[in-house]
Amino acid sequence: MAELDDTSRNRVWRWFMRRNTEACNFTKTDLRAAIDACDTWIESNQASFNAALPQPFRGQATTAQKTLMFCFVAQRRAGLLKVEEDG
Amino acid sequence: MATVVQQLDMGAAQFLSSAFPQMVKNGTNFPAIGLAYDAAAAEAAFWMTRAVSYGSGNVTVACDWYADTATSGDVIWGCQLAAITPDADTQDVETKSLATANTVTDTHLGTTGQRLHRASITVSNLDSLANNDDVWIRIYRDAAAGGDTMTGDAVLVGVTVSYSDT
Repeated sequence: MAELDDTSRNRVWRWFMRRNTEACNFTKTDLRAAIDACDTWIESNQASFNAALPQPFRGQATTAQKTLMFCFVAQRRAGLLKVEEDG
Repeated sequence: MATVVQQLDMGAAQFLSSAFPQMVKNGTNFPAIGLAYDAAAAEAAFWMTRAVSYGSGNVTVACDWYADTATSGDVIWGCQLAAITPDADTQDVETKSLATANTVTDTHLGTTGQRLHRASITVSNLDSLANNDDVWIRIYRDAAAGGDTMTGDAVLVGVTVSYSDT
């Protein structure tokens, strides 16, 4: 899973601003720096994340599945993910 | 000497086929209708009016706006005019160019995210504006400029055009 190029980071930046509904006390430049840092952090830590996953999931799940799982857990932690059982 | 004031209706805004702000209707107790200008891509809306009783001097275009989500940062508003004198100018109306833009940078005043701000653009590039000219007005957010630092949409809810009659 390659680090994002400038165009992709820019599109994430645009996507965030169009989807975000919470107050932003930061500038567009601040946001872009954070996106860059986030992508860099993922690049630096993806190996350790993968190593932390137990077998057989680690060996059997695809990169997309691992990414989705990470996103779902993070979303749930932030209160952004509701599932059918939550009503 | 008096000041002529014209209010531009947000609902009367017209757009080109791309790069236009979304018309939004927000509000809890009354509809706050406006044009939501994107934070990343320059978008523009247009109005057509007549320069009734225009005398001379610059035109002031006051843009009332609020931030959709931001509580800080700067927004750059720009305005361009195109003026045609009916029966005198031979310019093709469909290919007429707009004069060079004038802009203003307005800073979010904080405290409340969706508070109302007024940014006044002094339009000095008047395209040889004369009394009773038909005028096309382009208002845009220069979102791609480095000086436009505010995240999220800027919602334009009102525009007032004013000028001297002498």
